[in-house]
Amino acid sequence: MITVPRLVTPERQQRSDPAGGWVAIAGGVILAASAFLPWAYSFKALDGMTLLGFPSPLQYLGLVLGLLVAGLVVCSRRIKPKGKIRVGWVRGAKAAATGALVYIAIIILSIAVELGGLINVVYGGWVALLGAAIAFAGTRLMIMDKPATLAQAQLRPTLEILLVAVVMGAALFATAFALNIDDGGAFVSFIAFLGAFVAVLFRVGAMGFLSGVSQRHRKVLILAAFVVAFLFPFTQGGSDANMSIATQVIIFAAAAMGLNITVGLAGLLDLGYIAFLGAGAFTAAVLSRSAFATADIHPPFIVVVLIAGAVSATLGLIIGSPTLRVSGDYLAIVTLAFGEIFRITMINLDGEAGPNITHGSNGIPAIPDLTLFGFDFGRPHIVLGIQLGRFSNYYFLLLVLIAFVILVFVRLNNSRIGRGWVAIREDEKAAEAMGVNVFGLKLFAFASGAFLAGIAGAVKAHQDISVTPDQFIFLESAFLLAAIVLGGMGTVLGVLVGATLLKLLPEKLRFVSDYRLMIFALLLILMMRFRPEGLIPSQRRQLEFHEEDEELAERIDEEVEQTGALKGAGL
Amino acid sequence: MTTTVDVPGVSAPDDGSAILVAEDVTMRFGGLVAVDSVDLRVNEGEIMGLIGPNGAGKTTFFNCLTGLYLPTSGRVVFNGAVLPPKPRKVVIAGMARTFQNIRLFANMTAVENVMVGRYCRTNTGPLTSILRGPKFHRDEKATAARAHELLDFVGLGSTADSLARHLAYGDQRRLEIARALATNPKLLLLDEPTAGMNPQETRQAEELIFKIRDEGLAVVVIEHDMRFIFNLCDRVLCLVQGRALIEGTPGEVQSDPRVIEAYIGTGPEDAAELEQFEEEGQDNA
Repeated sequence: MITVPRLVTPERQQRSDPAGGWVAIAGGVILAASAFLPWAYSFKALDGMTLLGFPSPLQYLGLVLGLLVAGLVVCSRRIKPKGKIRVGWVRGAKAAATGALVYIAIIILSIAVELGGLINVVYGGWVALLGAAIAFAGTRLMIMDKPATLAQAQLRPTLEILLVAVVMGAALFATAFALNIDDGGAFVSFIAFLGAFVAVLFRVGAMGFLSGVSQRHRKVLILAAFVVAFLFPFTQGGSDANMSIATQVIIFAAAAMGLNITVGLAGLLDLGYIAFLGAGAFTAAVLSRSAFATADIHPPFIVVVLIAGAVSATLGLIIGSPTLRVSGDYLAIVTLAFGEIFRITMINLDGEAGPNITHGSNGIPAIPDLTLFGFDFGRPHIVLGIQLGRFSNYYFLLLVLIAFVILVFVRLNNSRIGRGWVAIREDEKAAEAMGVNVFGLKLFAFASGAFLAGIAGAVKAHQDISVTPDQFIFLESAFLLAAIVLGGMGTVLGVLVGATLLKLLPEKLRFVSDYRLMIFALLLILMMRFRPEGLIPSQRRQLEFHEEDEELAERIDEEVEQTGALKGAGL
Repeated sequence: MTTTVDVPGVSAPDDGSAILVAEDVTMRFGGLVAVDSVDLRVNEGEIMGLIGPNGAGKTTFFNCLTGLYLPTSGRVVFNGAVLPPKPRKVVIAGMARTFQNIRLFANMTAVENVMVGRYCRTNTGPLTSILRGPKFHRDEKATAARAHELLDFVGLGSTADSLARHLAYGDQRRLEIARALATNPKLLLLDEPTAGMNPQETRQAEELIFKIRDEGLAVVVIEHDMRFIFNLCDRVLCLVQGRALIEGTPGEVQSDPRVIEAYIGTGPEDAAELEQFEEEGQDNA
């Protein structure tokens, strides 16, 4: 190891702390003020940053970050901690400054890429970068304060419920805003801003507080989340473009949630999981009223969903019973092979190599839209004066589906079965020696995960209109797994975030589609290095990934003793 | 009753009150005989000690009893029925164990650890768990109540919500016992329950084992601490190089010259070799 002489040492920080604060404030103010200057030469870049005195939305976000740095530093100097509750002001300021620097850097790079060269960045952009850099340097000189203990704070219940509503509303607004950004660079910049903002919330301790609030008002939170999700199509002004993405995201998330049972809860690495989604989709296609469907019976959709789930679950049992005798890497290889076997079998069921069930690689096209209780999913409907198109219809159905999937996931996790899974993950031998049915529970994890994927596949078949074997390649399995790893193993929110990122980013970032895989690979490597437990992990998973980190363990232990439970499903 | 069983094939007479009878148990790893036709008989409500120098095959013998290993030959009869060589079925039959190197679920709280022990005595299925009917809440409540009761029993009531990995060493051993007790055993097998404990903790462990016996359970203890074992046990079996050397009351075993000789005169190479085999066996099993 090469030892790099440390520029910032505790002693130096001790001396430089007061000055650092002023420097950081100055940097923040410069950054905020730069929002009123023109940043780009042409209005074609990002969201048009050419005007003097009239900031664009992205420039306003720069202003917010600048004020955030300055404000947090001021708070750290002025506000003394009350009792046991500490706010991580300096931590927040450091995160804000780092985030601001990254944000401005991304904006400047985007301008350069979109307009062809750094020459197109006008003086305002450089002022912003300078401000962010000064703020960054200033916060580096400051002494880190102790970790925040805001998680222990409580407000009056009415205020907390109000807070939940406000946060949910903000989330809806941010999502709608992000989805309506057409420019790739602007989208990336906005994501960077969100990342910085969330990082600040984490470091200040507000996230801990919010998670405490969400623990205390779980039902309100869940209700609010579904109300927000339900309202989403109404923010789209009749456009179906984003709704198409949203439905893709939900199907992907539902499948990932099923996989999360296998991977996140039972700790079994499954690389062929997409086959279960495929089995569900093909089952629904074969039983549909498509002219190419190969079955003569066409049961109602509710029955089809159950059959699709049962077929997938059976497949899970068939695959599971021999393969679950191996573990770890071996299991990953065997399941990977199974995924390929499924795809090739579907290709071979074409009437030549085998019986004609799937029409081989052509698959089953022209699957008609669903009609449930007289409601035609293929036709637009007008509700409250807003037109809801085909994808909006499916979106509502998928909301019900994902609600069901989440319910199954959470309830299984918080039960005797969930405890058994944790025990198996912790120490399989000890679990077996304590009477836990290790093999049975593993098999059940496989089958229940497969069942959920199967029902998601049934809806997918109708929404996608056609089902072909090449939709179920290994890469899709890898993406599902990536969603879990990225988002956080074993949590609902983590998987939702991971699935959203992995489905949404490729849609919005078409200009880098050639490098898509490379970027994901890079992202995953970085995650493995810096946050192996994922963005929003369950506390237990966090502990498992940081066996050595006693500080973290102590903190979680303290929280557990207060609340009496580990945040398992992490809603 | 004194039965020296260093002659293979001679087993203790069955007088009906035996809860565990192991007959002629032999375990071979390749060419090495780790346990050589050992007989063991544990009566109801009795504390049985298992001693022997390092590498004598005590833990291997334990693993044969609890189904972690399938003995090369011999059979284990528990409560009148031959035990299947599956750890889970052994537990269900009513025999629970602790481990020499503590194997708690480190990232679960103490009470969750004990609740896992209740797994095999409850039957809350997936459908009940998802639908959350009255049975679910009844079962969960009963499981939690029993777990807290057992934690109080072993003296860990105040640390129920601490992560297992944060418990003091002695408390971890006690938690392992509570977890084993949660499976409603008739016989408890303790593998070196006082290893690494200070004298005070050892005394507490002794009291706890007596308390468990008073609940009507039979206990088999592996130990190195001679004073501990001779205080505690009703009978003691001494294993040397995989063979039963002598079985009898603590007084008889203590005064037997062969026991003393065995403890001083074991070849270090054999012991090391056997330990290595045991470790490998444990990893493979």
